[in-house]
Amino acid sequence: MALAPIGLQHFLVLGTILFCIGMYGALSRSNAVGVLLSIELMLNAVNVIMVAFAKFIDTPQELAGQVFAIFIMTVAAAEAAVGLAIVISVYRLRHSIQVDDIDLLKN
Amino acid sequence: MAATDVFVAIVFYLVAATMILAGASMVLARNMVRSALWLVLTLAGVAVMYVLLSADFLAVAQILVYVGAIMILMLFAIMLTPNQVDLPSAAPQAQRISAALTALAVFGISVFVMLSHRWNVRAVPLDAPSSERLGVLLMSTYVLPFEIASLLLTAGMIGAIVIAREE
Repeated sequence: MALAPIGLQHFLVLGTILFCIGMYGALSRSNAVGVLLSIELMLNAVNVIMVAFAKFIDTPQELAGQVFAIFIMTVAAAEAAVGLAIVISVYRLRHSIQVDDIDLLKN
Repeated sequence: MAATDVFVAIVFYLVAATMILAGASMVLARNMVRSALWLVLTLAGVAVMYVLLSADFLAVAQILVYVGAIMILMLFAIMLTPNQVDLPSAAPQAQRISAALTALAVFGISVFVMLSHRWNVRAVPLDAPSSERLGVLLMSTYVLPFEIASLLLTAGMIGAIVIAREE
């Protein structure tokens, strides 16, 4: 069986699969840390696609995809730190990090 | 196919299968610590993909930042919230089904667009180490976003300390 050499489409499909797994996790988890973990997976899936574009797509801006991936990584690091700090302070207040219990702005 | 192509294909399919299985185990695992450890495996797979995509700097940064720093942060957060680790996945059935339908719909539409679009592909894929040119680009064309990113990291760090501090 002759398989096509690994090209752009392979990485696009892989990134999409990972993104959708992460999306399912982010929407269905009830634990706030689990939601954050799933969001990390989604960001990484997008990064894979960005870097694949940098390698395979013909653009005047060379390596723009990899530069984008670096910035996404930076923002993801800041997001993880602030998100987990919020989770810990909510836990201190409510003794629960189930997303259904975090309804401080209701009523 | 040349020998390198075969090697790249074998590595790609093996690592991709591992990543997808680990990702699925991550969203389905009941125990949060296990879920985080499955995510470590997936993120390490992303680093391998960066190597296949000739993004050497990003591969190393991925290992350092994600597999190292962010996962330690996640594990700390899990351990600082005791008796939340092992809860059954309390999301109701209806929510899980609609989440799965949403993810499937996004998957279907994205894959359809990605495979039907005619991409403007390079004749010869980029195939050289990119660290040096990446560094030059970050210090010339993208220097303003680069500085803003450092500001964002500082603000994020201070914000995290202030939010999580014991009163």
